[in-house]
Amino acid sequence: MSTRPNSLRHFSLAVVAVAVFSSCRGGDAAPARKTLIDSRGTYDPRSLDPAHANDIPSGRIVALIFDGLTRFSPDATLQPGLAERWDVSPDGRTYTFHLRRHVTFQNGVPFTSQHVVGSFTRALAPETKGIPLWPLLPISGAKEFAAGTAPTVTGLVAPDDSTVVITLVEPLAIFPKLMAMPVAHIVPDSAGPDFSEHPIGTGPWQFAEWKHDDYVRLARNPHYFGGPPKAESLEVRIIPEPSAAVAEFESGAVDLLYVPENETQSWTQTDDKKALLQNVPSLRLWYAAFNVSRGALADVRVRQAINYAVDRKTILDRLLGNRGTLAAGVIPPMLAGADSTRRPYPFDPARAKQLLAQAGHPHDLTFELWTAPDQPFPQIAEAIQGYLNDVGIKITIVRRDFASLRAAARQGSADIVLKDWYADYPDAENFLYPLLFGANAGQGGNVSFYRNSAYDKLVSAARIERDDGQRTTLYRQADELQFRDAPMLYLLFYNDLYAVQPWLKGFQAPVIFTGQRWTDVEINHAPAR
Amino acid sequence: VRFLFRRLALAIPTIAGVLVVSFLLLYVAPGDPVQEMVGERADSATVARLRAEMHLNDPIPLQFVHYAGGVLRGDLGRSYITGRPIINDIADRFPKTALLALSAMLLAVTIGVPLGIIAARYPNGYIDRLASLAAYLGVSFPVYWVGLVMILLFAVTLRWLPASGYGGPAFLILPALTLGSRSIAVLARQTRSAMLETLSADYVRTARAKGLADHAVLIHHALRNALLPIITVLGLDVGAYLTGSILTETIFSWPGLGRYVVNAIGRRDLPAIQGSILFLSLVFVAVNLLTDVAYAVADPRIVYD
Repeated sequence: MSTRPNSLRHFSLAVVAVAVFSSCRGGDAAPARKTLIDSRGTYDPRSLDPAHANDIPSGRIVALIFDGLTRFSPDATLQPGLAERWDVSPDGRTYTFHLRRHVTFQNGVPFTSQHVVGSFTRALAPETKGIPLWPLLPISGAKEFAAGTAPTVTGLVAPDDSTVVITLVEPLAIFPKLMAMPVAHIVPDSAGPDFSEHPIGTGPWQFAEWKHDDYVRLARNPHYFGGPPKAESLEVRIIPEPSAAVAEFESGAVDLLYVPENETQSWTQTDDKKALLQNVPSLRLWYAAFNVSRGALADVRVRQAINYAVDRKTILDRLLGNRGTLAAGVIPPMLAGADSTRRPYPFDPARAKQLLAQAGHPHDLTFELWTAPDQPFPQIAEAIQGYLNDVGIKITIVRRDFASLRAAARQGSADIVLKDWYADYPDAENFLYPLLFGANAGQGGNVSFYRNSAYDKLVSAARIERDDGQRTTLYRQADELQFRDAPMLYLLFYNDLYAVQPWLKGFQAPVIFTGQRWTDVEINHAPAR
Repeated sequence: VRFLFRRLALAIPTIAGVLVVSFLLLYVAPGDPVQEMVGERADSATVARLRAEMHLNDPIPLQFVHYAGGVLRGDLGRSYITGRPIINDIADRFPKTALLALSAMLLAVTIGVPLGIIAARYPNGYIDRLASLAAYLGVSFPVYWVGLVMILLFAVTLRWLPASGYGGPAFLILPALTLGSRSIAVLARQTRSAMLETLSADYVRTARAKGLADHAVLIHHALRNALLPIITVLGLDVGAYLTGSILTETIFSWPGLGRYVVNAIGRRDLPAIQGSILFLSLVFVAVNLLTDVAYAVADPRIVYD
């Protein structure tokens, strides 16, 4: 999933000096309000209709109003949602979901297996124009139905009110995780074209009000099957300017803040601010994709040389306030398949020069490095430019807006693209498959245009492997293989840094974007300290 | 009245020009609306289907005819991203931008003009010097910086006002001051120089000679004659308000049209961009017309024919 930080962020540096005067007011008495207020939305959600929830702000809210068959806990473990449990057939192609009974939608209609079939069919139907559909496309007949060439989705069957049997085109071990994606959340039959403006689900929060570009307000669902949320209501504010979000937090008007990239140091190095922080490793890889189909980047020695030439440790320390861990592969350390014994490419300019000489390019290489427009990406690009200059590679930095960057990356018209990748679901497959699988070159997310049949074979085998241990081994092997091939400059796995007001009780920072549903969070009105 | 009709007739080619240019510019700009719709991970079947649905495979002239036809029927289309009708989005956002701009303008007039009058009445006095200093600062500081400093001072440190968001008058003060700050300064300078000029005119000396009170001379004789350049500045400033609102609305999370346009551009939401630009150019034309009418009202010697 893509992240779209605000393009004005870099200006905020100008006021950091002033911000120092206004020390944080942590420890102040709790506000009288009974509404939880989240400040993380930087732009208006695209849609509150699960079938169109294609960005992080939309997905976050959809996961509060609706339920999927499964869901993620804050620490990103897969949990039962509307399905109490599920079985897999021996061939791995058929999933039987046993649904929770006595669940009702927020409009009082009882939830049944028909709603699961109805929701998926609706999302896939051509007239719904659902996006993104890929979490549902593994279901048999889904592709044909979405293309308008089949009358029904053959893989969806509801044998009784509390059972759904889903047949897949081919075995897919991660399928239960895809069922937690926003597009797979369950809607009532009444969902029409303008469902986004008045969504109704089974989730812990019911929709109250949406003022576009301002806020979305939700109210506690008193009949939620998991027990009603502790707080009365929840407001998700949309604040495009990170400095304004910080100000709102410091004035006590919001309960939660995502600490902006550029303010990391000011928060981690001030004691009273530091006390409010929750730091969680996020499933977010920062990397520079090498377009291996372009010129000298086709040579593995050149790609490895670049990895040796860049001092990532210094970039992480100096530019990012040490907010992350160096990447040795594409699988985040917390996911099964990550190899904790593998070491990142060391900073070794001599080795880099040697490899470049062997490749026949001692001094003549020039590349365009495209960077995402928002800090700290351009700063990192400049650092990379400096390091590569030291080993004789000339870099031209191309700084464009996200839309241009994405278009160039997909069309393969950029040499190197500096960007990040944020997991949709917590599984190594979500990195190995979209980012580097041959068939995903370009459109599917593989902007390295990396094509390696041995790698593809390993990833394909992992996708259908049902045994967790076996699958983890395959993931690790695939990661190892591509790491030696170096289709990218591996940078780091980023940490999410949240500031939480002292009066907020029960908030656990989520690893995956849909992982925090605010059900156990409340404002502690007892006088603080 | 005849003049009004002529001006309106002249506005038509202007608007048509805007329509063509804004349409073509977006096709020259890099980036792909379909890619922005589907996100980073997509299958090519979906992309192809959307492209066909959005008529993006048609030749550009045909696409333009398609779009212009819609506009003539009063249909600005639906947002590629949210699927909502553009006209509704504009109707939702523009009043908020207008409120902000009018408030800023009101502040500029009620603060800037009196400041300029006082400064002109006592040239080189301490008020004049202070006003000059304030005016220079007001013109020099970027809107962005002014906005953030105001937030830090009034919302974080003093906690008198909310830092951002949309709501009652309390939410309006900081963004209006921020948006108006430049204009207050410009208007004070403009009023001062225009007043200085009229204050040395013969009719002012005559007015004083016949024993009129100071305020009567200032308001009825001097200011009335100094109004034209002030109106010009105000009229020109409307453009600045609309562009300034982009930054101001972003800083203060103000849900107006400026922010809407910026978001639309970032996501290559063609119908939203085109619709907003078209609408804003209509506003410009209307404001220019109003300025001309205001000239005639302020100065009866001006007759349009």
